[in-house]
Amino acid sequence: MTSAFAQFRALVGREIRTVARTRVYVLLAVGLAGLVFALTAGGGGGQTGYLPAVVDLLLPLELVVPLAAVAVGYRSVVDDLERGELAVLETYDVSPWVYVAAIYVGRAALLAAVLAWSLLLSGLVIAVASAPDTTVYATHSGVDSPILWGRFLVLTVLFGLAMEALVVLLSVAARSVRAAVVLATGGVLLAAAGGDALIVLGLADGWLAESNLLSALAAAPNSAYRGLVFETVIGVAAAGDSGYAAPGWSLLGLVGWLVGSLVTATLLLSRRHL
Amino acid sequence: MTTDPVLVGEGIAHEFGDLSVLEGVDIPVASGELTAIVGPNGTGKTTLLRILLGHLSPTDGEVRYMGPDVDRPIGYLPQQPSFRPQFTAAETIAFYAGLLDEPAETEAALRRVGLADAADRRVEALSGGMRRLLGIAQSLVGEPPVVVFDEPASGLDPSMAANAFEILAEQAAEGTAVLVSSHDLSLVDRFADRVVFLNRGSVIVSGSPAELADATNSETLWEVYESVIREPAARREVEA
Repeated sequence: MTSAFAQFRALVGREIRTVARTRVYVLLAVGLAGLVFALTAGGGGGQTGYLPAVVDLLLPLELVVPLAAVAVGYRSVVDDLERGELAVLETYDVSPWVYVAAIYVGRAALLAAVLAWSLLLSGLVIAVASAPDTTVYATHSGVDSPILWGRFLVLTVLFGLAMEALVVLLSVAARSVRAAVVLATGGVLLAAAGGDALIVLGLADGWLAESNLLSALAAAPNSAYRGLVFETVIGVAAAGDSGYAAPGWSLLGLVGWLVGSLVTATLLLSRRHL
Repeated sequence: MTTDPVLVGEGIAHEFGDLSVLEGVDIPVASGELTAIVGPNGTGKTTLLRILLGHLSPTDGEVRYMGPDVDRPIGYLPQQPSFRPQFTAAETIAFYAGLLDEPAETEAALRRVGLADAADRRVEALSGGMRRLLGIAQSLVGEPPVVVFDEPASGLDPSMAANAFEILAEQAAEGTAVLVSSHDLSLVDRFADRVVFLNRGSVIVSGSPAELADATNSETLWEVYESVIREPAARREVEA
């Protein structure tokens, strides 16, 4: 019998080959790198170091990363549905979890590459343009360092991966490409802004106790990402206690969005008979 | 050539909400035969094919596959087949063969449908007819004992449509159970071994084109269609 691994490998190969041959993704990579560079340079981070650049980029990336995830993944499943390829794949006994995992891995690899390339490029510019003390490879308090930029890059990619899983789920839920773009954009913006809004509302109305704030922040993807960046990048170089977020819970929150979205996508697809 | 049924639908019924689409449909699909389902639009042909493929559960009745235990028991060509435009024809077939963990015999698969010369051409550069042939090549990957084609000739010019049916008939002659739905009665008359007339969700008559012509005193399948589907419908309208 055909192994699930062989099918996974074939499907991932198809995804990677597809994205590698789609010119719009090259434009996305160039555009995103340009945007990150412009934000870094515009905020003065390029001259002042990695940490000021992180502070400049953090808020814009909370919006840009979900939108990049939408651009990369909104058509990933719905295109197969519209082309009739989902029905064809069913005759090859491809299980929903193999299909969803493969689609996700292919698209997530592209998004991770695009985000990493954009941040590496800006990191290089900072390394060349900024003050001499930013070349110190250390992470103890008070010292700016490329290591902190590396952490920021990893966390941004992780945030992107969680958002991409949500986009794949919304692509499974859509019945047409037009519905997919609306669902994906609306969905990630709701997840991005809705979590924060809900927390503020909860605190204002009193149904969210302040003692539960850190775990609530970890549950929303944007605040989880923000909290991790504060705790492991910005807070490291700042003097005194941090306590902006619970890093473990925040990490769990992002992984939860990733895994939860993919599991839901698989269950949804199973109901549609793949 | 054998005529053993390899796929059987018995008493199939399907409802979408309160709307009954199929009712008590019995359909055997035999090895070595080209079986054609014919009927007006909206009569449940595609729904029946989806049920026979296992993509949709019937509300009543059952589908039994009685063929050999293989990785891919049923091949399928949807009504409007399409593939990733960035891939070449050969890469498309190789991808599907990869799903079966088999060596990709892409050249043979494409030669069988007359696309060997277009192997390195991207899907986006293939004509509609060539894409349909690529779809047929895909449906035969893994040599499934049953192959289901949903309107394989729709939208094709007459020669390309005949070409598509010739390939299906050759496949049936090699022992595959081929099931097609089609509106092209002249092609069905020419190539089908067995025709199933479906109307308003039920099988009206079935048999070989010659048997059906004899039973209805008709010369062609079109005349059979007139006598079993069009005239009763006209009578119903008059009575109503």
